[in-house]
Amino acid sequence: MSNYTKPLPAISTLNGPYWDGLKQRELKMPSCNDCGKLWYPPAPFCPECWSRNFTWRQLSGRGTVNSWVVFHQAYFSSYKDDVPYNVAEVELEEGPRLLTNLVGIANEDIVMGMAVEIVYDDVTDEVTLAKFRPVK
Amino acid sequence: MSDWNLKDQTAVCGVGHSSYGKRLNRSTIDLGGEAIRNALEDAGLKKNDLDGLIVSFGTPIGADADTLAYALGLKLRMYNQTWAHGRFTASCLQWAAMAVKAGLANYVACLASISFSGFRKPMMGGASDGEGAREGGGGHGEDPVYGMTSPGAGSALIAQKYFAKYGATSRQLGAVAVAFRKHASLNPAAMMRNPISIEDHQNSRFVCEPLRLLDYCQINDGAACVIVTTSERARDLQKSPVFISGMQGLPAGREEFIWTHPGFGVAQQSVFDYQPEPQPVYQMAGVTHADIDALFTYDAFSILVWTALERWGFCRPGEAAAFTQDGRIEVGGDLPINTHGGLISEGHIMGWNHQVEIVRQLRGECGPRQVANAQVIQWANAYGDSLIYRR
Repeated sequence: MSNYTKPLPAISTLNGPYWDGLKQRELKMPSCNDCGKLWYPPAPFCPECWSRNFTWRQLSGRGTVNSWVVFHQAYFSSYKDDVPYNVAEVELEEGPRLLTNLVGIANEDIVMGMAVEIVYDDVTDEVTLAKFRPVK
Repeated sequence: MSDWNLKDQTAVCGVGHSSYGKRLNRSTIDLGGEAIRNALEDAGLKKNDLDGLIVSFGTPIGADADTLAYALGLKLRMYNQTWAHGRFTASCLQWAAMAVKAGLANYVACLASISFSGFRKPMMGGASDGEGAREGGGGHGEDPVYGMTSPGAGSALIAQKYFAKYGATSRQLGAVAVAFRKHASLNPAAMMRNPISIEDHQNSRFVCEPLRLLDYCQINDGAACVIVTTSERARDLQKSPVFISGMQGLPAGREEFIWTHPGFGVAQQSVFDYQPEPQPVYQMAGVTHADIDALFTYDAFSILVWTALERWGFCRPGEAAAFTQDGRIEVGGDLPINTHGGLISEGHIMGWNHQVEIVRQLRGECGPRQVANAQVIQWANAYGDSLIYRR
């Protein structure tokens, strides 16, 4: 794990609970206790009503592929053995969309709207990424 | 509203640019200085007339406004810069127009100057890409943690969804690249002047699939500059003024994703059937689509031409693929777009080369690529800002 050389998230006061959640196998996003709005990326108040009264709500981890791309060029040297690799935008059941990688599927088999579920990928001791695989 | 109606109150009085090239081995200050000098000369102005400066795509990749003012020995009353992100062209011109009208400055040079070859590491995408470090991935929604980097990737996400949603194809998108290359072949300043075919487009490699190399803009060195003043002053100068008739600001928020219109349903946008509402820019300029003689748009990637056409209501969502076929967007077609070759084929000067070309078209200076009797030209982008110019 310690030889992981790909980019890692800049974990901050703002997004700390998101990354802590993934490490504990929980996909969590801030949810407003006053108006019910769920939002991503993390921000310290509700974009709808500006309430600071929110809870990090655990989500289902299920969603659908909203769009995807396949990188044929390795912009990062750490990705040079991975090209062509996919990046997908997954729309979660609860609404927000996340960029991610689809695993357990060949790039050419990816289809718009396909159902996917979260896979937790511990890339270092500190960081767990949210990846997704097709629902069987 | 009445006191601040800027319709035709301000004008471009001079334009200029440096040479454009892949590896000029010249700094942004060097190139920017050349563009400013050429623009002043075009306007018939002297160094000391210039008392305002707005640098687009500034520090840390483009020209630094402080350094430029210092190096050129300018005495500025008003200056500003936007960060190194390409979408602020219209914003800079709007600020310049407001500044000269308000008397904060008499002549404002607005420019971008870039020297990608001046950096040893690639600056767009990868380890040096500042965009991905911004909270939420910045304007392009980049996420390097999953390998999502470079502005083209966000465009590829739009293209993939567009193709699936409307049954459009990469081959149809090729018509945009072919048209712009044809324009560039008529433009001595353009970097890429050899005509290409749809087959060339289809045979070019994928960079970020479904976008191919020929869907991508140039990455280059160069600078382009526009000088803004009041219409009153402009009328006394050597070249015919090109008036700024309408303007519309750059929108932002959760319903915006830089490479498409609201309602498209990427990033955190809602999904709805987008209808271009009456856009304020047309109302301000007092024109309709039928009056627009040519359209200029930020074409970092070919797909942005489609989303811009739909955003501004030149066609309905899903129709841009068909709209851009059969020479319609070429000089001589119904709606010529980016007659200089755009970012894709003239060079990527952050949209400033587009402003230079708009002014030259409205002055009738464009030779073989001149749009006949061009009176009104619009700059309008996928990300939602616009200017309407008239001669």
